[in-house]
Amino acid sequence: MDPSLAVEITGLRKVFGTFVAVDGLDLRIKKGEIYGLLGPNGAGKTTTIRMICGLMAPTSGEILVWGYRMPMERDALIRITGYMAQKFSLYEDLTVKENLEFYGRLYGIPRKELAERVSELLSFLTLEEFSGRLAGRLSGGMKQRLALGVALIHRPRLLILDEPTAGVDPPIRRMFWEYLRGLNKESVTILVTTHYMDEAENCDRIALVNRGRVVAEGTPRDLKRRVFGGDLVEVTVRGRGDPASALSFCRVIDRQVAGEGGPDCALGSAVKLRVLAQDAPREIPAMISALERAGFTVLSASPTYVTLEDVFISVVEGAGRVA
Amino acid sequence: MPEGATPKVMAVVRKELIQLTRDPRSLVMIALIPLVVMLLFGIGYGGSTGKVGIVIVDMDGGQMGTALVSAISETPTVSVKANAHSIEEARTMVSKGVAPAALIIPEGFTSSLLSGSPVRVLVIIDESSPTLASTVKDSMLAVTYNFQQEFARQVHGPSVELIYNSVYGPTVTNLEAFTPFVIALVLQLVPTTLISIAICREKEKGTFEQLIMSPVGRLDIIFGKLAAYFIATIADMLITLFVAINVFGVVIRGSIFDLLLISTVYLLGSLGLGMLISVLSRNQLQANQAAIFIFIPFLLFCGGLAPVELLSPQAAAIANVNPMYHFIMAFRSIMIKGYGIPQLLQPVAALLVYMGAMMSIAPAILKLRVE
Repeated sequence: MDPSLAVEITGLRKVFGTFVAVDGLDLRIKKGEIYGLLGPNGAGKTTTIRMICGLMAPTSGEILVWGYRMPMERDALIRITGYMAQKFSLYEDLTVKENLEFYGRLYGIPRKELAERVSELLSFLTLEEFSGRLAGRLSGGMKQRLALGVALIHRPRLLILDEPTAGVDPPIRRMFWEYLRGLNKESVTILVTTHYMDEAENCDRIALVNRGRVVAEGTPRDLKRRVFGGDLVEVTVRGRGDPASALSFCRVIDRQVAGEGGPDCALGSAVKLRVLAQDAPREIPAMISALERAGFTVLSASPTYVTLEDVFISVVEGAGRVA
Repeated sequence: MPEGATPKVMAVVRKELIQLTRDPRSLVMIALIPLVVMLLFGIGYGGSTGKVGIVIVDMDGGQMGTALVSAISETPTVSVKANAHSIEEARTMVSKGVAPAALIIPEGFTSSLLSGSPVRVLVIIDESSPTLASTVKDSMLAVTYNFQQEFARQVHGPSVELIYNSVYGPTVTNLEAFTPFVIALVLQLVPTTLISIAICREKEKGTFEQLIMSPVGRLDIIFGKLAAYFIATIADMLITLFVAINVFGVVIRGSIFDLLLISTVYLLGSLGLGMLISVLSRNQLQANQAAIFIFIPFLLFCGGLAPVELLSPQAAAIANVNPMYHFIMAFRSIMIKGYGIPQLLQPVAALLVYMGAMMSIAPAILKLRVE
């Protein structure tokens, strides 16, 4: 076992009755990185997280977390791990402070030290003025911060967060990621799941999970390169017929009708294409001339920013080929 | 454990107590139910004994018939409710439920008696309510017995007289007879139902998942919760005992410490049972239903409603494994007979076994997993 690895999973499977939730998943997470599990709802992310935490026994496969074999050695793991469940899982009839103190006591933090730690966390998460409020009366963003606070009470080295930003407004999500980056700078390893593609850009490395398998893995930049094997060009054209057929020499990833001119418009519809190019500056002129030869009016053509969503769609459509 | 740290089980106790004080439903259950039950019990069982009113048909009209009617009025358990003129009329009245029984004094009752011939008195009885019917039969026997004693004295004839001499008497009132039963009801139903949601509510709300990601152990969870609910429900035990002794004037002939001791053991058993239900239930609704369902056999075979020894040998066998039966028996013996624990080794041992079993099964089967 490699001591630089925080999580090492081999051939993980979990079957519920006839439903295969996790289907031969492999994962290597390095100590000190922010690692994202990205995938749609039902991809098996939560089940994987629960097995990593020892909350569920795998049907088969091996899980080593910080060198501890799960779920057998979960007692040792719990000491160094902070966990935030997908659903808010603190006591709504306890106050913010009572929740933090309760968990602090369970970790055996001495009284005086605990008081310091609680006020430190309240200030870090800007929850001081709500410390006496019942957790059930907090807003979504505050609940999320409280849950992070409880996960951090014992200064864990590994932080496991299951969809921490689900259902929270984008500005609050960005703020939450500021906290995570801050913690990561203090060498906390973070494993986070999300189905927000934009959010995954914050991770050092990500695994795309679909139907209980890792279908692609790497840094966000790597993934985009590897998956697309080149640059993405966005071309907007107007005219009758299928512009994709004129571009048979390159790969069209996505196509959508743009602008007001609907399909019935006398001039034909404005269509926005996302096209994959080996080398954008060299191929864009060729694309334009091919389209014009086919009778289309090219309104614009430029290299574009690849989102993880593009990557995901591409990977899932061509599942198996990339993995 | 680091120095200065609170033991984990104490953290659980504290958290549970805070939650109990913030839950109106639990507070009502802890405080109000025992008081209401004791109040209703005091009102219903504490007053003077009620009388059964019967219908009289006096076809004799003579001196002895009148004497028999007045003997009925003097009996503490029966009174004359109405008079009828014929057997048919009396039978109709009993069938319609006007009275549970009718007494018919035949024509020639006085003359037959005075001439020394045997006489028959007919009693028409409604058997649809067996307890009431048997009370009426007992009363009629008593009336006839008293009447015969009086008659024998008048004619200087021979008679056999019964003299009752009671132990644990002079009399045990209804209130005293039922106090052990009512205390058993409160100590069974309230703690079991209350604690039955303790674990499954955490599972239902998702808080269990976070809880078990901390270094808390199964024993911390189970015994922390048990201790908190014990602190909360011990008040119920004290309230019910206090009301019985100080408000209803129930006399405790044995030691109050013995009573407190067996009540505590029983209370802990009830809490352990509720905890077991909670560990086994999937959600709060299921747990509440289970707590109430399990209460039914406890109640049926506890000897509080009907003496199990008289029901059937099967009932007696079931009662033997019913902790409520042993509790009521021990409680009654201490309260009414003045027994001490050494005379009650068998029921007390049964209660201890029950408590021990309940307290150890729940932690043994609790899984720190999410499934």
